[in-house]
Amino acid sequence: MDKNVLMKIDQVTKTYIMGEVTVEALRETSLDIFEGELLVILGPSGSGKSTLLNIIGGMDLPTSGRLVYNGEDLSKAADTRLTRFRRSEIGFVFQFYNLIPDLTARENVELAANLVDNPLPAAEVLKDVGLEERMEHFPSQLSGGEQQRVAIARAAVKNPRLLLCDEPTGALDHKTGKLILGLLAKINQERGSTVIIVTHNTAIGAMANRVTRMRSGKIVELTENPTPASPERIEW
Amino acid sequence: MNALNKKLWRTILKTRGQFLAVVVVVMLGLSVYISMVNSYYNLEYTQRVYYQDNNFADYYFHVVTAPQEIIKQIEAVPGVAMAAGRIQKDVPVIKENNQRATARVTSYPLPLEDGINLVQLSSGRLFEKYPQGGGSEILVDPAYAGANNLAYNDTVTIVSGGRQAPLTVVGTASGPEFIYPIEDISSMIPDPTTFGIIMIPHNQAQQVLDMPGQINQVLLKLVPGTDEEKVAREVKAILEPYGNLADYGREKQLSHAILQGELDQLQTTSRSLPLIFLLVAAFIQFIIVSRMVKAQRLQIGVMKALGYDNRQIILHYTGYAISVAITGAFLGSLLGLLFASYFSQTYAYYFNLPDTISGIDFRAILYGTLLSLGIGSIAGYTATRSVTGINPAESMRPEAPRSTGRIFLESWPWLWHRLDASWRMGLRTITRNWIRFGVTMLGVVLAVGLLVVSLFFNDSIDYMLFRHYEQEQKYDFLVRFAAPVRESKLLDISRLDGVLKVEPVLEIPVKMSHLGRSEDVLLLGLPREVTMKNLVGEDGYPTAIPEEGILLDQKTADKLGVRTGDRITVETRMSLGPTHTSTLMVAGINQQLISSGSFIEISGANRVLQENGVVSGAMLKVEPGKHHLVEAEMNEITGIASILSRQKELTNFMQNLDAMIYFTAVMIGFAGVLGFAIVYNASIISFTERKRDLAALRVIGYTTREVSGLLFKENAVQSLLGVLLGLPLGYAMARAYISAISSDLFTIPVVVYPQTYLFSALGGLIFIMAAHLFAVRGIKKLDLVEALKNKD
Repeated sequence: MDKNVLMKIDQVTKTYIMGEVTVEALRETSLDIFEGELLVILGPSGSGKSTLLNIIGGMDLPTSGRLVYNGEDLSKAADTRLTRFRRSEIGFVFQFYNLIPDLTARENVELAANLVDNPLPAAEVLKDVGLEERMEHFPSQLSGGEQQRVAIARAAVKNPRLLLCDEPTGALDHKTGKLILGLLAKINQERGSTVIIVTHNTAIGAMANRVTRMRSGKIVELTENPTPASPERIEW
Repeated sequence: MNALNKKLWRTILKTRGQFLAVVVVVMLGLSVYISMVNSYYNLEYTQRVYYQDNNFADYYFHVVTAPQEIIKQIEAVPGVAMAAGRIQKDVPVIKENNQRATARVTSYPLPLEDGINLVQLSSGRLFEKYPQGGGSEILVDPAYAGANNLAYNDTVTIVSGGRQAPLTVVGTASGPEFIYPIEDISSMIPDPTTFGIIMIPHNQAQQVLDMPGQINQVLLKLVPGTDEEKVAREVKAILEPYGNLADYGREKQLSHAILQGELDQLQTTSRSLPLIFLLVAAFIQFIIVSRMVKAQRLQIGVMKALGYDNRQIILHYTGYAISVAITGAFLGSLLGLLFASYFSQTYAYYFNLPDTISGIDFRAILYGTLLSLGIGSIAGYTATRSVTGINPAESMRPEAPRSTGRIFLESWPWLWHRLDASWRMGLRTITRNWIRFGVTMLGVVLAVGLLVVSLFFNDSIDYMLFRHYEQEQKYDFLVRFAAPVRESKLLDISRLDGVLKVEPVLEIPVKMSHLGRSEDVLLLGLPREVTMKNLVGEDGYPTAIPEEGILLDQKTADKLGVRTGDRITVETRMSLGPTHTSTLMVAGINQQLISSGSFIEISGANRVLQENGVVSGAMLKVEPGKHHLVEAEMNEITGIASILSRQKELTNFMQNLDAMIYFTAVMIGFAGVLGFAIVYNASIISFTERKRDLAALRVIGYTTREVSGLLFKENAVQSLLGVLLGLPLGYAMARAYISAISSDLFTIPVVVYPQTYLFSALGGLIFIMAAHLFAVRGIKKLDLVEALKNKD
């Protein structure tokens, strides 16, 4: 695997003000993300892993530090630039799926497809995630696993360079979770998208090329995994 | 349809109740706008074309009598494009059953083509200068012909110089000065049974009215851009030897002034009333959309994470408001055209306009749609602007808890400790969610205010009629003689069977002047001990005829700028005899709602005329049940020009008020819809926003009843405040409306009866209760698990 740096995170700090409390979610964190890798970010809740993912995905800006994507510094990018970045480069998968309740599975995928010039065909992507029979159903008519598959299809339809997943199995049972992980691995291998999975489930680290561990807003460990396991073999 | 538009469409379907409620408000606003603007364009266009086609005069002069040749001299005055002389005279008509009517005989020099104020034939044929077989041919106005069943070749008998003259009807016609044919401003509403227009060739008029070679009116067309007053002064100088009675420009011509007033009122109302609706709609749209943005914060975050930009998201949510605007505009246009045709019918009924004044003016629809779209877009855009502030990452995190604290009521422990827990909870909720509280309350305020506005007009008219016909005029009949007579002549009338009492009247048309300002006024001479006419002073209290001087009417006093104690010049303007000038003191001011008139003691009136013991008419009190008898008896007396029955006048007025009753009913309906739309929307929004809180209460063990009770207390405070503020708002809106539509011609008092306030307050409470019942239904259906689980 060539080690082409897709994104460079350099000394990034993020603080929030929530109500009357100030939270330091990230403290001078640095990380390189390589093109085409599958990276798992592990950590307990509140460790800052979701914040890091949001900053990588251009959903949030760092309070300080640099974020360089493909040679461009995005750490102080304007809202419109970040929107364009998300639109063309990023696919998101959330823990609670966050589908639009008023749109069917296919329409939720089309919602993303409408944004880019050369999307993959929505029906095909839904077929890839095994939902060809359930395309015209509304989220409320789908199980959690099915909803998450729609969410993956919605992220994948844009054929993004970076697919970011925040606790994608967090709300799912063991069997469905493995199915979802399998889909993510497939997208990583077949389409060459860089996939980052944030989770507190250490077992998932086994399927990654690299694993980082976070605690209290800092990366405390970064390990390479030369032989990633197939998701079906992972147990938790 | 792309995915976002599908989402919009589904949102509309899901919130269809709310959506329709706003659509109805927009629809009503636009229908009012379109129907009024459409009517305005039609009426204005008809007026313009009619005036042009019939060469409507720019200026009028009335003289006692002048030789026809004087016109040549007047035509030579610089600025005069055209001058025409004619005879116009009000004469008694004797109808078949011996009843009286008044006809305004108007002469037309033949051939007609090159005259001023031409006739517009509606049926039959034009009159001949020298009809075969002699006699006189006339045209009558269509309303008079209709009311008196006159057909081709029928005879109308007028009385002139004590002689009866039969005239042959050959058709019906109207003219630009007879669009609203009333005798004088005090009649207010046309009564075609007692007043009509007779059009007759000039040579015949001279013969019938015994005015050979004479005219008594001069009409002018002016060169555009001419100084009207300068020309008028010069012409008046020429006419001076012939007894100037009155002169006025087009804007003071009665029919024109009333038509113009109607046009102005249409314009004012079309600019204010629909705006209220559209603003209310905009307000609801704003609330719905901003609440939607708030509730869909997470969805907006997801859309942003996907790469949708602010512009696309704002457009999407504004799309809701725009959909309301478009649907409302479409339905409003249809309804508007329906109203417009009703308006046209009403105008066709009231105004003597020849061609149909119906027709669709697409400008009204275009402007209305643009207006609705503009206001809807602004409301939607304003409501969605907060989208830019939503950070996609932040939107996924739960919102920070609201800041809490003591409410102001808690600083008054003596009050606070007396309230039970549910009152305290209710009051805390109100103060902490004052925007939501305010929205619902504002809805009630507006609804109650609108109810007051739609009801008060009836009160005002009722009050006006009551004061005029029940309190001020106490006579049963007002009789006018063709010319002033000796007071002893009244004995003939008082001897009639059924007549209880007769009081003399001397009416003198005069011109009053003070410091360069002048005004044409009817001066009424009455005995001091008059019982059939009650007068009201400046202060609103009864007043009496002064021993000396004039009791001036308020409007004239204002126009002349005089006060009690000032001295004014009074010049008589009788159509016969010389002009007399005298100086009189203003002894007081009186108020009249309908008509106007200044009063003087009857012997003082005689002095003004340099006469003694002369009367021009009488007021009669008649035994109950003998009205018809007395009227029939008086019809036999020659010399009586007209007999006004107070009862008939009132009946005529009431019949014409039918149109207004419809108007009021429609307005009440509108206010109801408006009030309900606001309160309904506000309560749904309020309920949806609080679903979780209410479910939490249910989960900890509150019964449905107790939760409803909690809501009821909040609603009670809202409706009470809403009603309290809505009533004065309604009064203020009523005042504003009246001041916007009141004209020189008559003043409508702003009178709101207590039952109107009561009814409006009740209406407001009904809206709140309906909304409350809706919310209670919601509590019963509340799925506790779902409500606590879902974010929106």
